[in-house]
Amino acid sequence: MRMLERLLSDDCGSGSALLGDLRESYHVELSRRGPIGAVLWFWTETLVALWHYGKPRHVLGSLFREDRMESFALDLRQGVRMLWRAPGFTSLVIVTLALAIGATAAIYSVVAPVLIRPLPYPSPDRIVLLNERDANNAPENLGFRTIADIRSETRTLASIAVYGGWSATIGDHGEPEQLLGQKVSWNYFDVLGIRMGLGRGFTPEDDRPGNNNVVVLSYGLWQRRFGGDSAVIGRTIRLDDKPFRIAAVLPRTFENVIFPDAQIWRVLGYAVTQPAACRTCRHLNAVGRLRDGVSPAQAAAELNGISTRLARAFPDAYPTPGMFVDRLQHRVTESMRPALLAILSAAVLVLLIAAANVVNLQLARAIRRDSEFVIRIALGAGRSRLAQQLFAESLIVAGLAGVVGLILARVAVPYLVTRLPADLPRLSAIRVDGGAVAVIGAIVLSLAVIVGIAPVVVRRTRDVFTGALRGAGRLGDASTLRARRLIVISEVALALVLLSGAGLVARSIVRLLGVDTGFDPQHVLTLRLQSSGASYQADSSVFGYHDRVLAAVSRIPGVIQAGVANQLPLTGDLDTYGVSTPDGSLAKPALNPYADRYSVDGEFMRAMSIRVIAGRPFDRDDTGDSSRSVIVSLSLAERLWPGENAIGKHVTMGNATVRTVIGVAKDVRHHGLDTQTGLQFYLPERSWDSADNWAALVVRTDGNPAALADAVRTAVVAVDPSQPVARPESMQGIIRASTAQRQLALTLFAAFAALALVLAAAGIYGVLAGSVAERTREIGLRTALGATPRDVLLLVVRAGVAMALVGIAVGLGATALLTRYIHALLFGIPDTDALTLGAAAGLLLLTAVLACVLPALRAIRIDPMSAMRAE
Amino acid sequence: MDPITELEGLLLLAVLQLGADAYGVTIRDEVDRRGQRKLTLGTIYKTLDRLESRGLLAARQGEPTPERGGKAKRFYSVTSTGRRAIRASFRTIRRMAAGLDLGLDTP
Repeated sequence: MRMLERLLSDDCGSGSALLGDLRESYHVELSRRGPIGAVLWFWTETLVALWHYGKPRHVLGSLFREDRMESFALDLRQGVRMLWRAPGFTSLVIVTLALAIGATAAIYSVVAPVLIRPLPYPSPDRIVLLNERDANNAPENLGFRTIADIRSETRTLASIAVYGGWSATIGDHGEPEQLLGQKVSWNYFDVLGIRMGLGRGFTPEDDRPGNNNVVVLSYGLWQRRFGGDSAVIGRTIRLDDKPFRIAAVLPRTFENVIFPDAQIWRVLGYAVTQPAACRTCRHLNAVGRLRDGVSPAQAAAELNGISTRLARAFPDAYPTPGMFVDRLQHRVTESMRPALLAILSAAVLVLLIAAANVVNLQLARAIRRDSEFVIRIALGAGRSRLAQQLFAESLIVAGLAGVVGLILARVAVPYLVTRLPADLPRLSAIRVDGGAVAVIGAIVLSLAVIVGIAPVVVRRTRDVFTGALRGAGRLGDASTLRARRLIVISEVALALVLLSGAGLVARSIVRLLGVDTGFDPQHVLTLRLQSSGASYQADSSVFGYHDRVLAAVSRIPGVIQAGVANQLPLTGDLDTYGVSTPDGSLAKPALNPYADRYSVDGEFMRAMSIRVIAGRPFDRDDTGDSSRSVIVSLSLAERLWPGENAIGKHVTMGNATVRTVIGVAKDVRHHGLDTQTGLQFYLPERSWDSADNWAALVVRTDGNPAALADAVRTAVVAVDPSQPVARPESMQGIIRASTAQRQLALTLFAAFAALALVLAAAGIYGVLAGSVAERTREIGLRTALGATPRDVLLLVVRAGVAMALVGIAVGLGATALLTRYIHALLFGIPDTDALTLGAAAGLLLLTAVLACVLPALRAIRIDPMSAMRAE
Repeated sequence: MDPITELEGLLLLAVLQLGADAYGVTIRDEVDRRGQRKLTLGTIYKTLDRLESRGLLAARQGEPTPERGGKAKRFYSVTSTGRRAIRASFRTIRRMAAGLDLGLDTP
């Protein structure tokens, strides 16, 4: 700002007014765009102002005077020559920096779509998700009537679209295939701000009951299944054996961050009069666009008011009034944010360590070049002139490292993408783009400055002279050695932070995988079943299909038990219903617990080894559609009837049917290994209102479940070849996949920690080797005076271990401060788990001792006679 | 008198529309609102200076305020030469467009 003022205001009049205007607007932009946006805005404005208005030639001229440019070009040439003469040093520095730069750029590329880049829609910060509030004050889906009321009353939202999950089997144009998609109100893509690539898209007329057999295709689906034929618009295709008209194809660039797997969209076609559109039918989601200048908080305040009014008018439908309005970007990325931030910070730590290492090497090298510098000083070069030369050298090195780092990142990112958890938001948007190149550029420049200038800052001109006068034997002076020790100590401290982070995440994963899931995942194979189309309109045909599949699978040798359920634990499946007791044992019926519904067929509970701890499991008599038997989980039983025996109690789930508890089962971790809800109920699938067209087949085998996957799949397909069968997975694989986010963090933390460990060891080695060479004469004298090899060894090792210990102490302090930032990744251990931190410190100390070995051996081998003769 | 460019025309009209309250920020917002054109302050001032040196605009200094870092506002008004330049520019456009069906009357 000060510089800007000097540049602009000396020209009295409008320059000063422009500055005032910038200031004034900055406050407005701050409230409109947030701090980062406002700063970006400010700098863009300033640069344009300087370009147009200031005197660009003037400004640039003062930075790059002609003579200085010329001497800098000379320095660059000289630098290339110097570096060429020290190929070992040069390549070591380049490799070190390139690894760190590559790692940082790769991680930046992975996190940018989630943490930095805005969503790929126009004015993305105005797109918000709306939710009702449930009894636990958590976001809840909405009923259609509620959305309709909000739509007609809101003043803060310009538009609201409705969406829900949908899937259909496409039969024509190739093999039958299960397509994932969404059912959406006609304006869904308008709210996101997306124009169709081909065709007109949905119209309000489509969005009516009976009119709604209209679909929009994703670009990928259109290419893959329809060969990119533009004549498909208006054509009719069959989905689940019903005709649908293709209204449009989305553009290739469209990225559906709300549901990335969706390939096809149908129009919702609800009317408020339909039973499924009721207020308590909370199965829909809503996305809205804020009016210009409205904040999510303002919209939330208004919607809370509407919700409160609705709750007064319909008290039964809204037990806990209130609404959530969250930015889409926030909601889409919030689950991954802690892991990504932690990984990005780890990469930055590695970069710091690498920079420290290179500064260290540079200091050591600068000392050896004292005579060169002295000659230049004698010839009239000042400190800044020397700094310029060193800067030129380090710019070459850092620039080369940047190029290599960019190549490394380009190679690493596609590989990283294959290793990332499949549910990472915006996975498809990850690439090494201009942003990553800009980040590399910034890193290269700052490295060049730090690495280049360090020797000039650290060393006094006097040291350079004494160094030069003492000749080549002299390898260090007090100020340089002190600086080098400090650098090594900070390297050790940073390495300890990384090691501890890796250790804490590793131990958390071990703890997580050791959690009692409530079922036995070993030897269990799972497979997704589907039953859709004209032949499965009747519920009985779906049940029949399940029975036939179970019979076919049971005949396979090696299968012990097989069962079917509408959902599986730990897969993200979410099918919950409110549970209540008809006799009113719950004090507050409005706060009914929600429990996971398992509609089961065959031996599901036995195949999963979900133990029934009281009462009895289902038997043959329970399988009929008139059965009213239900098994509840222990936690659900205790919630409904605290301290009582649940067996024989009456209960309702989601609808009016009164059921009788026949058994109590162990809690299952359904929503995640780290979430302990454990509220489930199990009922025979025929006794539920409707059949589930999606189901999971669970098979307990007598050995490796993967070995039976093909046989099971073949058997299922043979039952009905028209139905798609998907995702054969072992239950253990599912459990592992549920820890994918932490596994990713662990892999990267461990890789970074290993790199940090090597760099820290190299730093210790470098300082000790330098100090041994420096003290050759002293050590020779000591040996001559009777010091044993053991004494000499201790002398060196003590110096190394002392640095390591100080570094470890600092690092432990830093770790204690920093681990709370990875709290979200930890499970079952305290943030500062003493065992982990101790182990990390021990490993680092061991590494430090190993790094001492070579310099120590060299010290022992010093021959007193030749050491004395040397000077 | 040299003809004015489109950008200059936009700024002159914005200053006229704003009356007594025409300074950098309000001019920018006016061009954004009516003209649907996003301009940076640097671009605006560069053009305002040119218009002022050509005598199409007159400027006067306002009072400094703390929210502007103690900088005064610079208020602009259109001179009679400026009004003439706008009229000339309009007339040129009308003559060029005469007899063409550009759908100018249908919104």
